[in-house]
Amino acid sequence: MRRRGALTPYLFLLPGLALFAAFRLYPLLDGLRLSFTNARLGRAQYAFVGLANYGKLLEDTRFHVSLVNTAFYSIASTLPILAIPLVLAVALNRGMSLRTFLRGAFFFPFTLSVVTVGLTWLWLLDPVVGPLNYYLKSLGLPARSWLADPSTAMWAIILTSVWWVTGYYLVIYLAGLQDIPRELYEAAALDGAGGWRSFWAITLPLLRPVFLFVFVTHIIGSFQIFGQVFILTQGGPGDATRTVVQHLYETAFQNFFQFGSASAMAWVLFVVILVFSLLQFRLLRGHTQY
Amino acid sequence: MRSRRGIVTALLVACAILWLLPALWVLVTSLKPTANIIRVPPEWIPWPATLAHYGEVLFSSSRTARIGRAFLNSTIVSLGSVVVVLFASATTAYPLARMRFPGRDVIFALLVGSLMIPNAVLLVPQYILTQRLGWLSTYQGLIVPEAAMTFAFGVFLLRQFFLTLPTELEDAARIDGAGPWRIFTRIILPLSQPVLGALAIFAFRSAWNDFLWPLIAVNKPEMFPLPVALALLRSAYSSESYGPIMAGATLSALPLLIVFLVANRRIVEGVRVSGLKG
Repeated sequence: MRRRGALTPYLFLLPGLALFAAFRLYPLLDGLRLSFTNARLGRAQYAFVGLANYGKLLEDTRFHVSLVNTAFYSIASTLPILAIPLVLAVALNRGMSLRTFLRGAFFFPFTLSVVTVGLTWLWLLDPVVGPLNYYLKSLGLPARSWLADPSTAMWAIILTSVWWVTGYYLVIYLAGLQDIPRELYEAAALDGAGGWRSFWAITLPLLRPVFLFVFVTHIIGSFQIFGQVFILTQGGPGDATRTVVQHLYETAFQNFFQFGSASAMAWVLFVVILVFSLLQFRLLRGHTQY
Repeated sequence: MRSRRGIVTALLVACAILWLLPALWVLVTSLKPTANIIRVPPEWIPWPATLAHYGEVLFSSSRTARIGRAFLNSTIVSLGSVVVVLFASATTAYPLARMRFPGRDVIFALLVGSLMIPNAVLLVPQYILTQRLGWLSTYQGLIVPEAAMTFAFGVFLLRQFFLTLPTELEDAARIDGAGPWRIFTRIILPLSQPVLGALAIFAFRSAWNDFLWPLIAVNKPEMFPLPVALALLRSAYSSESYGPIMAGATLSALPLLIVFLVANRRIVEGVRVSGLKG
């Protein structure tokens, strides 16, 4: 009886941990091992090649471009993705009758798949028959081939992402705002603080954990950006929107089927994401009272 | 003061409408006859309206129109993934929240740490594993890895909730002779319905919308889930044939739209438990 009791927790854990070990832990480590081999799709035998794959990455200019593009995408999208939902959330955080509708309207795109989002914007941005160019022209503004022009293609992808995720972060911010005690604002108002003052002195500091969450989630997500690129530009024009995962996907599954090399890319990406996330935790958590 | 409030509301309503326009444009396009789709200036009222594009993507047997089958595939994969996630996450979270045993904290730390593993990083080894299991282009090859992606998050979410349940109920059941499995299924799970519901929605959304994994794990067109079928429909059609693509996109949005309309009140609550503390 005692024995059976001691085993109980492990019996409960068995299915979940088996799933976790087989499809998360093992692939992570197997990827590291593969990154030191010359494995290819369909090749049964392969050899260990040491750091050769990583060495090749140092010379792979398309990989460099994809890293730079991914970093550019992540950085350039950070401000709108942190700020727009925040502004909307603060505006929406007063009890108003339309609140449910408004929240739903902004949240709606987030329920769509990345493919649907990509197809939507592909259509809107179509240089010939898309509505965006038509309205720009009728306002006397220049029409462009947004996705075929290297100077605008990445911005178009950023626009797509902002449209997609704003509602999600809006809801997160709203939840955070609701956790701030009302009394703090009342006390500040008694002390004569106006709206702006209490925003800077109460709202922003108390939202720090929410910022941390949004920031880290956004960076982890944006370093893996793929779907928007795959649908809208396939990495082009030229390599202007080629991102790391697009490059990895092509290396492993489209042109070359080089699993070893792709695994090295995956691990470089993993380390980059890890370092950024840890940095963000340090930077932002150092000051919070939570 | 009142008027300032009115201005803010008006601005917000304007922004919300602007935000909905792209999706509305997709819906409007999907209802227009092909000849009207590419008309300039853009027509926002689909007149005459037609369901022909829906008929084509759902029922036509042409090579490119497999959305009907893809809809079925996505449904099977997403529901399957929900079942696996709920079962695996709940059985794992229960002992982690309510029992004491050696290794508990290490296991929990490992699971939480794994939330930092980017899915994209696991593509190649997961592909090789799935291939070795003979699971490429199968439902289980989509369901199981999909569930594994959501599993650790589910454990985290459910554990948080299980921790808040009072111990008295368990004690009473134990005195009545109930074993751990009975306590789990008769007391813990029924009390956890709201959070299990939130996790189910989350798991469904994540499986329904995933693109990258099915893109590489499926190479038989009849096994494509919706996002892959739609993405490939895009490359198969010429740029003028937006009608069927937009009909497919609208169809793919429907199930989640319905779920979120029904569960709207719970969205903030759900994200609140799930997101922030993750």
